[in-house]
Amino acid sequence: MRRLGGEVWFGLILLALCSAVAVLAPVLAPYDPRAFSGQPLERPSRAHPLGTNDVGQDILSELIYGARVSLTVALAAGAGTVLLGLLVGGMAGYAGGWLDQALMRLVDGMLSLPRLPLLILFATFLGSGLPQTIAVISFLFWPTTARVVRAQVQSVRQRGYVRMARQFGASHPYVFLRHILPAIGPLIAYGLVTSAGHAVAMEAGLAFLGLGDPLVKSWGLMMRFALNLPGLFLTDRWLWWLLPPALCVTLLILALALMGIGLEQNLNPRLARRWR
Amino acid sequence: MGVGRRAFVYLLTFWVILTLNFLLPRLLPGDPLAALLDPSSSDYVYDPQVRAALAAYYGLDRPLPEQYGRYLLGILTGDLGRSIRLNRPVAELVVGHLPWTLLLVGTALLFSSALALLAGTESAWRRGSWADRGLVSASILLANVPVYFAGMMLLLLFGARLRWLPLAGGRTPFARYPSALAAALDIGRHLILPALTLTLAMLGAKFLLVRNATVNVLGEDFMLVARAKGLPEGRLKWGHALRNALLPFVAHLAAHAGMAVTGAVFIETLFSYPGMGRLIFESVTARDYPVIQGAFLVVSAVVLTANFLADIINLHLDPRLREGGAVG
Repeated sequence: MRRLGGEVWFGLILLALCSAVAVLAPVLAPYDPRAFSGQPLERPSRAHPLGTNDVGQDILSELIYGARVSLTVALAAGAGTVLLGLLVGGMAGYAGGWLDQALMRLVDGMLSLPRLPLLILFATFLGSGLPQTIAVISFLFWPTTARVVRAQVQSVRQRGYVRMARQFGASHPYVFLRHILPAIGPLIAYGLVTSAGHAVAMEAGLAFLGLGDPLVKSWGLMMRFALNLPGLFLTDRWLWWLLPPALCVTLLILALALMGIGLEQNLNPRLARRWR
Repeated sequence: MGVGRRAFVYLLTFWVILTLNFLLPRLLPGDPLAALLDPSSSDYVYDPQVRAALAAYYGLDRPLPEQYGRYLLGILTGDLGRSIRLNRPVAELVVGHLPWTLLLVGTALLFSSALALLAGTESAWRRGSWADRGLVSASILLANVPVYFAGMMLLLLFGARLRWLPLAGGRTPFARYPSALAAALDIGRHLILPALTLTLAMLGAKFLLVRNATVNVLGEDFMLVARAKGLPEGRLKWGHALRNALLPFVAHLAAHAGMAVTGAVFIETLFSYPGMGRLIFESVTARDYPVIQGAFLVVSAVVLTANFLADIINLHLDPRLREGGAVG
C-alpha cells in the first residue's frame, strides 16, 4: 500500500476529534442537553458559553451530544450502504451471467430515480425515527457502491491465483472470503468513507427540512430550530446558535470527503498524477 | 440506443415512480392516509369539505386495483389531489411554485456551466501552476460543502451583515409595480442570493469535470498535430481542447440536473424562496400528504425530463453513441 496522503491525515484527525467529543460527551458537556438549564434565549456567558436556545437548553451541550447522532448515522448508514452494495455488486460480479444482468438492470434503474425527492417521500411515510433515516439512506445509496464493487470483483475473478484456487477445489464462499474480499478491501474502505459523508449530509439535510427524529437533537435539527426563530438574522443570535452546528456538520462532511479523495488516489495512481 | 428506446426507458422509470408514490403510503405500517379520516387519530382532518374531497380522491374503501386505476387516470388528467392545509387543488399549487424553481435552477445551471467551462479549460491549460492548484483546491472544497451551509454564509454576509440584498422571498411582499421592468428588477434582486448559492454549489463538481476532461484531451495526438500546424493559441484552446472536453461535460449534465434540484430544495427552504422546495418544506411541516406526493411526482418528472434532454443532446453531439450508423 502506498503512503497515505495529507488529505487522509487531515480527515482522520478531524474524525478522531469528533469521535472523542462524541464518546466523552457526558464529561465534556456542562449540562444535560435536555435539561432546561437557563432562561430561554440567553446570550453567551460564563455559565452558558454558547447561550441557550428558545426553551432554555444549553446550546454547547446540545452541540456536543449532537456529535453522537451524526457519527452514529455516518457509521450505520455508511456500513449499511457498503454492505448492500457489496452483497449485490459482489454477487453480480462473481456469478456473472443472467444474475449479473438482472442485478445490474436493477442498479441502473435505482440510479435513474431522483434521490432527494424519494428520500423525502420515504421519510414522510416511514416516520421520522433515526433508524428509519439510516435505513432509507442505506437503501437509496447502495447502487453506486454495487456498481464499483462489481467491476472490481469481475476483474479479480479472472486473475490466475483465483482461478487456481478454484481448480484446487476451493468452494465459492471460501474463494470469495479468502481471495476476492481482500482484493477489494481498499475499495470497501473508500466506499465506506464516501457513503458515510453522504449519509451525514443527508441526515442533517432531512432534519433541516423537518423530516428528522424530533426526539434526537442532531446538528441538523438544531439548525432547523434556530432558523424557525422569527427574525433570527436581525440580531447576532445566529452567531452562537446557527453557525456552530452548521460548522460542525460541514467539517465532518469535509473530513470524510478528504479521506475519500485521498483513498481514491491510493486506489488509482493515475488520478494522483492528474491532480498534481 | 436510439431516441425511441431511451424514451421508453424513461417512461418506464416514471411509471415506477408513479407506482411507488401510490403504494408507499398505502402499504407502510401506520396507514397515514387512513389516519386523515379517522376521528381518533391526531392527523384527523376536521374540515368536513376537505375530508370529503380526500376520501373521494384516495378512495380507501375501494379495492386496491380500482384505487390504482383511478389514481393513474387522475394523474393523466392533471388531478393531483387537494391540499389539506390550504384546501386548494395540488395542481394549482404546483403551477404557482414550479416557475420559481425553474427560474432558480435555470439561472444557476447557466452561470455554473459557463464559469466551469471557462475556468476549467483555462486551469487545465496551465496545469501545475499556482492558479490551477488554487482553483482545484477551492473546487474540491466547494463540491463537498453542504449547500445549506454555503447558503447560510452568503445570507449572513450579504443579507444580514451588509444588508445589500433581501433576506427572503421571491419578490417584495404586497409590492405594486409601475412597470414590467420594475417587476423584473425586483424579482432579479431577490434571485441573486439563492441563484449565487446554487451556482457555487454546482460550480465545484462541474469545474473539476471540465478540467479533467480537458487535461485528457491535451494528451491526444490531434492536439499535437494542431499545434504542429501552427494554429494560434486561442484556436487550440477553445476550438480543439474545450470542444472535445464538451462531450463528457454534456454527458454529466443529466446528473447535474438532479443535483440542482436537490440543491434548490434546501436553498428555497433557507431563503424562503417560493418554489417547489419551499412548498415541500411547508407541506412536510404540516403533514400535508397530498401536496408532498404531488410535489414528489412533479419534481421527479422534471428531473427525468432533464435527464432525457441531456441524453438527446449527447446523442446529437457524439456520433459514437449512435449505433447502426443512423444519422440524427
